[in-house]
Formats: sequence, structure tokens, C-alpha cells
Amino acid sequence: MTTTMKSLSVHTKAIVLAALSAAILAGCGGGSGADVVVNNPGNSGGGTVPNYTGPAPATQDVQNFKIHLWDNIIAEAGCNNCHIQGQQSPTFARDDDINMAYADSNPIVDLLSPQNSRLVSKVGGGHNCWLASDQACADIMQTWIEGWAGGNAAAGGRDIILEPPTSMQPGTSRNFPDDPATFQQTIYPLLATYCQDCHSSGSSVQQSPFIGEPPDDGGSVAVAYDAVKTKINLDDTDLSRLVVRLGEEFHNCWSDCGNDSADMLAAIDAFANPIVPDQVDPALVFSDALTIFDGTVASGGNRHETDQIALYEFKAGSGTTAFDTSGVTPALDLTLSGDVTWVGGWGIQITDGKAQGSTADSAKLHELITATGEYSIEAWVAPANVVQENARIVSYSAGPFSRNFTLGQTMYDYDFYNRSENTDGNGEPRLSTPSAEEVLQATLQHVVATYDPVNGRRIYVNGELRASGDEANGGSIADWDNTFAFVLGNEVSSDGLFQGVLRMVAIHNRALNEAQVLQNLEVGVGEKFFLLFGVSHLIDVPQAYVVIEVSQFDSYSYLFNKPFFISLADNITVGNVPLTGMRIGINGSEATVGQAWANLDTALTDTAYNPASGQPLSTVGTVIGLQKGPDSDEFFLTFDQLGNNSFVRTIDPPVVVAATDGVPTADIGVRTFDEIAATMAVVTGIDPQDANVLATYQGVRESLPAVDSLNAFLSSHQVVIASLAITYCDALVEDTGRRATYFPGLNFAASPAVALSGAGRDIVIDSLVANAVGNGLGTQPDYTTLANELGYAVDDGNRPNNLIDRLINGGNADTPGIVKGVCAAVVGSAATLVQ
Amino acid sequence: MTRFYNLNRIAALLLGLSLVASAASAGPREQARRIHDRLAGVPPTPAVLDQMAALLPGNPEAAADIAMNNSAFYSVTLKNFASPWTNRDRNVFVPLNDYTATVIGMIRDDVPFNQLLSADILYTGAGNLGLPPYSMTSNDHYAQMEAQNMDLQAALVQTTQSALTDLPTSATAGVVTTRAAAEAFFIAGTNRAMFRFTMLNHLCNDMEQVQNNSYPPDRIRQDVSRSPGGDSRVFLNNCVGCHSGMDPMAQAYAYYNFDMDAGRIVYDNSAPHPKNFNNDANFEFGFVTPNDEWVNYWRTGQNAILGWDPGRPGTGSGAKSMGEELANSEAFAQCQVTKVFRNVCLRDPVDAADRAQIDSMVAGFRGNYLMKPVFASSAAHCMGD
Repeated sequence: MTTTMKSLSVHTKAIVLAALSAAILAGCGGGSGADVVVNNPGNSGGGTVPNYTGPAPATQDVQNFKIHLWDNIIAEAGCNNCHIQGQQSPTFARDDDINMAYADSNPIVDLLSPQNSRLVSKVGGGHNCWLASDQACADIMQTWIEGWAGGNAAAGGRDIILEPPTSMQPGTSRNFPDDPATFQQTIYPLLATYCQDCHSSGSSVQQSPFIGEPPDDGGSVAVAYDAVKTKINLDDTDLSRLVVRLGEEFHNCWSDCGNDSADMLAAIDAFANPIVPDQVDPALVFSDALTIFDGTVASGGNRHETDQIALYEFKAGSGTTAFDTSGVTPALDLTLSGDVTWVGGWGIQITDGKAQGSTADSAKLHELITATGEYSIEAWVAPANVVQENARIVSYSAGPFSRNFTLGQTMYDYDFYNRSENTDGNGEPRLSTPSAEEVLQATLQHVVATYDPVNGRRIYVNGELRASGDEANGGSIADWDNTFAFVLGNEVSSDGLFQGVLRMVAIHNRALNEAQVLQNLEVGVGEKFFLLFGVSHLIDVPQAYVVIEVSQFDSYSYLFNKPFFISLADNITVGNVPLTGMRIGINGSEATVGQAWANLDTALTDTAYNPASGQPLSTVGTVIGLQKGPDSDEFFLTFDQLGNNSFVRTIDPPVVVAATDGVPTADIGVRTFDEIAATMAVVTGIDPQDANVLATYQGVRESLPAVDSLNAFLSSHQVVIASLAITYCDALVEDTGRRATYFPGLNFAASPAVALSGAGRDIVIDSLVANAVGNGLGTQPDYTTLANELGYAVDDGNRPNNLIDRLINGGNADTPGIVKGVCAAVVGSAATLVQ
Repeated sequence: MTRFYNLNRIAALLLGLSLVASAASAGPREQARRIHDRLAGVPPTPAVLDQMAALLPGNPEAAADIAMNNSAFYSVTLKNFASPWTNRDRNVFVPLNDYTATVIGMIRDDVPFNQLLSADILYTGAGNLGLPPYSMTSNDHYAQMEAQNMDLQAALVQTTQSALTDLPTSATAGVVTTRAAAEAFFIAGTNRAMFRFTMLNHLCNDMEQVQNNSYPPDRIRQDVSRSPGGDSRVFLNNCVGCHSGMDPMAQAYAYYNFDMDAGRIVYDNSAPHPKNFNNDANFEFGFVTPNDEWVNYWRTGQNAILGWDPGRPGTGSGAKSMGEELANSEAFAQCQVTKVFRNVCLRDPVDAADRAQIDSMVAGFRGNYLMKPVFASSAAHCMGD
């Protein structure tokens, strides 16, 4: 398969690929790398060093082989049961001469790419794996070989070998038909019935996407069809967002979520199954295709693992055990219990459970950490939210009140508890990241909590020191309890649940320094590949590829990052090749979401091209939705233009939603707060800056109607309006000059019976009507009716007396007071309130 | 102290009287009354009513002009029309400020309203009113104007932001760069709030309405997690729909901040404000803001429905040109007209006649961008039959 190989030196990379980002070649799966130095388990006190009595190692490399690999495959893996002198070849586990064992090991070990070693693939394939998981055996074997390789590395230099994949055309896949008719008959009825109340443009909440647009006219179904496309997976219908939203996220189910999800799936199947899978649009300008595992493993990183005593990479992907692949015995394997699921791209998601080791195995931590008096907790963690409190992410404890250490979460803060001579038995006072800085985010973060006797506790997040100055200082941790258990995602007593994703956890028995923290951050987490998308058939450059670093980002997407162009041929000339509009294709069609390079507009040139590192195309990365899974999803690239090949992309005009009639509503409303006050000022002639008026208004302003809708008018509004009206009328009537003008001829000094009889009563009513209601307006209260209510209607057994008579008959001897009351009745009425 | 009668008894009567109002058919006097009520917020004097009625039904716009000459149109109607735009809670009970005063002044002086988001313009109280001077660090100037119940129709005078602040003309962007807007939307955070609320208040589209996940995500900043809580579906189905278009537009605000300690807007074009790099480790492969160059991805695809001006390039540097991009869109005109319609008619447009009226007003508005004719036309449309 491999016809050409191109080596990229890590040393060279650090310089020539700087424009691409050091992460391109530094990024790799944890634990892989030439200059990784791992513990010799025997020297760490974790295992039993085999008793070797043969010739001494001839070189330092043989010595490194012995302490990192040979000791372990004898003591742990049991390879010496067969592969020793006189038995099964190769005799790499022979115990008569370490130098001969070394010689036999070299052919089955790749120190440049430990993960590619025959020893690793053999145990990974199930050959006499000494653990329950073949993957765990492979990981541990790889770790031992990395230790050997790391012992030889001078400064972490190693090569990345770009291997050209087999040229392959993009396959076929189902695509959406242009005509929404089938959609309208299958899926749309469910959407129109159950989703329309929110997901339509006519909804009061207008929740996008408008997948439930009502069928009032032909265009509306097209709107729904266009909106729903990204919510349907035609090839794997059960992964459709519409199905998942109901079945797994319980989003507004209309009956039983399981049944509703099944109904939706059946409808989608009825829509999707008749669709004949399409070939890739031949008009597109597209590259060769490949799956993620056709890529070159992006190894070459160099985690600092010298003092790593427990490591969880969660590669198993199934089962109920998270294996400790640190290679330091005893293996502190964790048992998953409760609602804990495996995450694609390595990791576990804790919803309501934990991953806990036995107290016996956990004692490894006690033994190795108390021996050094310092340690580090390292984790790649994605908290599910920023509201959970007292959540235990990584803990070595006995319950809610007793622990050796804990890395936890309180909302936006990471918390670090450590038991020392200066703390209580619960590790308090704790050290937390500053709440105001909201360091903890609900996204994947690299967190390292370190402790040493001098500096005490520190917390690094994404490589930055975010918490230090431990108020408990450092001190001895000799009082640690070796009967506690190591647990992830909860307290051992299950009363400290942490919800989120853990993608890697490591414990070191030294406090990592800042450089080491950064070093491990740069390596990243998860398995990464260089995908080489062949484009030689499009441009006149031999063995030309657009290379993209790809990894599974989480269970639902891939990360595509840092694309660059390179030719694996030597001595090539690029010329000047225009490259625009690069998109990622998946399973036969372009991904609908996440096309971060769609606006790319550049050219491949001899000036920009570096034979050693290629030509970077973009500094941004993007995530593309996972469809069938990493084993099956097939990727390719398309280009609007590459060289002389171009694709003219047509852009559909926006869909216009036809307007529909709304519900007729009242065309009148009430005045709002300032309008009410201003109106009262106008109809009474009182300055709103009058001291009493102003004081009252400032007190009630925000209790008056804030909106003009009649439906929003409350009885409390009316009470406040009355209060304000009385204040205005009080100011009017108490001002002898103003009242004389407003009520001309009214004798305020006379008794009510005198002042408000005959002409006086007319003066009051007519003045108020003229000023506050208006005469001759058909839309205002009828004069006769209003006058009767105020001053003329008589109790006839069916209705009470008019207002003035009721006030007089009540024994009131205060004419101004009665006038104020009548004034307020009018000024605070609908005659002024309604507009 | 004054004596009052039992408040409950009076209130009960008031409620009874509220039933008295009738809904008779509208003649010129009724139409005049409604036009005045709706525009000025207060009833007309008998003389004004007669004057307006005489113009009806033939010339309702002229009658509306009379109503709009009432100072309450500025001090009450327009002030409360604009106040909710000036804060995140969309609260109408906020003090008069430079944002609302500028809106009022622009309408009063018939300044084309498509300059609202870009002009070097500011309205303050006249210098002879005894007010504390305009300050970049305080709203006292406007608060005093309101406390003294000043007639805003008469009190406001036009000036420029570059004259009264340390913002250079190139950094001014109409109400966007007023102190009130900065205090509300440039404070803390990432400045996306300024874009979101400008869209909401002046294009009548919140992010929900423009959400579309088909746009390229290449300008989404690093602080937007691509896998919130470890679930990238959230990003791919929701976050990307808004951020893909919003982030490249909000980049226009890269150089602005509201300094909470000093209480003032700060503009520094030497480098993007650090807030542009908040939480940059959330997705380190995201977009890193290098400057204030914005680009409007919504000119194509479904959001082209917002009606962008084809005569503009759809990209530029800074808040001023971005404000011009927004304010010359069909959606901006549609939004202003619809807001006025709602304010005057006390209801949303509901039928073909209303929609035709909106279309007509939008067409007129896009011709001169004057707001008072929109108020007048709305009042005429809703003056009753």
C-alpha cells in the first residue's frame, strides 16, 4: 500500500509547522511518544522485579529495555511462560541473557511508533492478554515500550510518517429529494400536529426551526421541509435529531416519549427508505475519500508521565471496567456503576453513577504518594453544567466528611481538597478557583491539581495557574488513610454526584510544574489522525494531498483541524493553484453544518509551499456531525475551485413565508403611566411638578399600566389611578384661584346642600365634562349618562343615588371635599384612561 | 391636610364609570381625538380638536402634524417609545438618557433615521437650561432634565459625540455608541449583547428568528464551546445557528468596552479589547479576533430575507459601517414602521389592509427615512371610520 513516505521531524515541525500550530504534530493519544518516560514499576514499588542473574546489560539501551519492558513482561504479562530460551520463538522474554532478549525484542518493537509494535498488536488482538480487556493489555504494553523509547530519547525528537492512503472514490448515500411531497405525507403530519404550536412562524414564541409551519399554503410545507432536513439522518434514521429529541431528551412528547419517538422513527423510515442512494454529485470538484482509520496516526506527542502512577484513558468503549493503564502495579481498575456510559473518542459520561476502585488497589495511591509527599491530579473533563455543587470529579475518600484528596466542582469553580497536617480530615479549608472568573466552563477542559509540601495546593486549568496561595499552606500528608477508595464522578458513598464527561484521568506522585502541565495540555486527549485527501487528479502536482488532522470530538462529532496542502513527492513545483470554497463531505454529500472552510479563498504557490511541512490552509478548526460512526463514516473534500476545476454553487433564494391574518384585536387601549399623568395634568390644569402631585406620582409610577393592552389592565391599576386622580383634584380644588377658574361661579364656602344644588351642581358636572371628557365626541361617554351618574340619577330601587347626593347624604359637610371626589371620579375614569 | 373621602367608594364608582365609554362611529372630531390621543398621549384642547377636525377626513396627516406639535409627543410618547431599547430588560421605567434623547431629537429634527446606528450625533439639553454638563461618566445631565419635567421638544439641541466625548468621529455609531447603550450592552461580557439587542430593537429579529445552522462557522470565536457539556449536538443544532452570523458582525465592536469603574465607554483601536478573548480555551481552534473587520454572512441564504442593501459591500471595519449595513436593510425599515404602527394603533397589523399599509409606509420610509410621516400615516390608518 505504502508507495511513498514522507517524514516530518518533530524538531523541524516545531519550527516549520509553527504556522500550522505545534498541536498538529504534538497532538496524539495520551501515552504515545518517543520521549515519554514512565515509571519502572519495580522501582516504584508497585510490582516485583524479576530476579535476573545473567550477564549485565551491554549498553544503556539494553538497560532501558530491561527496566521498562523486560521486567514487566516477565512480572506482569507472563510472557516468560512461553517466550524463553528453548521454547516459543521469539525469545524476547528469555532470562538467561538480557542482551539476547534485547536482540530478540528489537524486531517486534517499533520505538519510533510504539503503538505500531508487533508486541502491542499481538496482545491487543487477544494473544494471551493477561487482563480482561485486550485494549488495556495493548495500552499497557505500549506504555512499557514507550518507557523504553523514552529512556533513549534525548529531547523528544521523532518523526511523523505521512502514509498515502489507497485512492478511493466517495461512496453513495441517501439525499433529500427536492419535492417535499413524500415528506408531506410521512413526517409532516406529526410535525404539523405536535410541533406547530412552537415551531412555526405564526406561533407567539416563534421557535426556530419552523418544522411545523402550518399548511395554509403550498409554500409553508416547503418551509418546514427545508427546516427539518438537518434534523433527519436518511442513512441512519434512528440517529435523526427528531427521533433523539423525543426518545432520549424527552422534548415535549405528546404521549409517551418512547412511543412518540418510535412513531417519529416510523415516519422517517417511511420517508427515507424509498429514497435511492445517490452517487456524489458528479458536478462537484471532490477529492479522494477515506475513513478516519485510513489516516496516519498523529502520534509524536510527549506527555510528561515520569511520575504517573494511575492512568485512565477509557479506551475500552464497552464493559464495566475502566482500566488503569499506567503500567504501575497494582492496576487500580475502576468499576463503573449506575448510569455511566462510554463516550466515543474515548471517555465516560457520568449521568448518575460512579467509577470506583477497590480499597486494596487504591492503597497504591496512598503508598506511592505518601512516599513522595506530593502529587498531581490531572483530568480532561467536560462538566455537564455550571450549576452542580459539591460534585466530586476525582476523589480518594471515604464519604462526604473524610478524604485524602478530591477534585470537585461548585458551579463555576473547581475545588481542591487535600488532607494534610494543616487541614481537617475532610481536606478543608478547600482551595477553589476564583468564582468571579468563572474558570470552570461546561466544555472540555484540562485540569491539573497539584500539591506539594512547600507550595500547598494549586489548580491549573487549560495550562494556566488559576488558583494558588493555599491558606493551609503545604505540610505533611502522612496522616492519609490507606483504607479509602479512589472514585471518579461521585463520592464513594454516592452522595456527591458529578455530571459530565471524563476523557482522561491521571494521578502523578509528583507535583507537575507549569511546564509539565503545559506539555500535557499540548498533547491533548483522544486519538488523532492525519487524513490525506488526494487531489492529484485535480491539479498537476504528483501525490498531492490536503491533509487534515481529524479526531472524534465526542460521541456526536468529529474535529477537523488545521488543514494543510502537501505533496509526498520530492522536488515538485506547485505553481499557482487557486483553491476556494473547501467543504467537508461525509457519506456522499457535503455536511450541512460546520463548513468552516467554505469561505476559504487562497492559492497554492511555490512561495507559500514548504516541501517539509506543506502549505497551511487555515488556522481554524471545526466540528462535523457524526453520522454512522468512526468505523463507517467516509469523508471527502469538495472545492468551489481547485486549479482549473470549478463548481458553480447555486444559492437558493430565501423562502418567503406568506403572511397570514392574525386574530383581530381591540383597536383601543389604555394610556400608560406617563400618558396618564400627563393627561391628568392637561384635564386639571395642574402642573405635574406640583409637590404633592409629584410625590404621589413618583410613588405610584411603576404601579400604573406599563402597556396599553386592555387585557393587561388590572384592578390594582385602577386603585393607583384613583389615588393619582385624587391628588390632582386635591391640588386643583385646594388652589382657590385655579378652582375659581375651573368651576366658575361655584361657592365653595357654602354648605354642600347649598353649593351643590341647582346651578352649582351643573357647574361641577359641566366643568368636569368639558375639561376631562370633552363635548360632542361620540367615542366618549354620553353626556346625559355621565351627568346622571354624577349628579342627577335617583335611587329607584334598581340603582343607587347619583354620586353627589350619596356624598352629601353621607353627612359630609365639606363642599371642596365633595368636589374633589366628583372630580377624581371623572379624571380617573375610562373617559381619560381609554385611548 | 386635605380631606379625602373613602377611596374604595370612589374607586368603585370609577370602575362603574369606565363602563360608560361607548364605541360610536367616528366622525372628524372622534378621529381627531384619537389621532391626538395616540400621538401625544394626552387629549387635545377644544381648540386643537376643532383645528384638527377641520382637516378630517381629507387630510389626516396634516391633523397628525398638529398632534405631533404637542410637546407630550416628545416628552411622553417618544421617550417611552425608545426607553425599552436602552437596556437589557427592555424596561420602559428607565431614566431619560442620551440614547432616548438622541432618538427623540432625530425624529423631531427629521434627521434620516437610517443614520440612527452610524451617525456622529448626540442630543443634549440646551446650554441655558442650568443643567449639569453632559458627561461621559454620568447620566445626570439627562436625569435632571427629566426630573425637572423639561419640554423635550424645546430643550434638546443637536450636537456630535465627537465634540462631547473622546470618541473620534470614525468611532461614533449613532445610538450604539451612546453612554446608555454602552452601559447596557458593552458592559462586561463579549459585546455580542450590543449586536443582539440592536437586532432585536431595530431589525425586530432576535437571534431565534435568524437562527440558521447552514452558515460557515469560521468566524465563531474561541469562547463558544463546540461541545457544551460534552455534547456537540448542542453546538451543531443550536449554537452555530446564531453564532455563525452574529460573531462576524459583532466583530465590529471589537474595540469598545464599558469601563464599569469609570462609568464610561472606552474605545481603543490599538487592539481588540481583551473581552474578545474570554474563555479562549473553550475551543482553541476557534476564530481569534484580530481587528474590528465585520462581514455579513446573512447576505446570502435564508437570512437574505432581511433585505440587505445591494449597494453596500457587506463588509467593513468598525461599528459605524456595520450600523449602516443594519440600518439600510429592509428589515430595519420594516421594524421601525411596525413599531410605530404598534405604538399608534395599539395593536399589531393583522390583516391585508394593515399589511398593505405597512408596505406603503415602508416604501415611503425607505425613500426619506423620516419617522414623523410614519407616525402620521399610522395615526391616519388607525383613526377609525
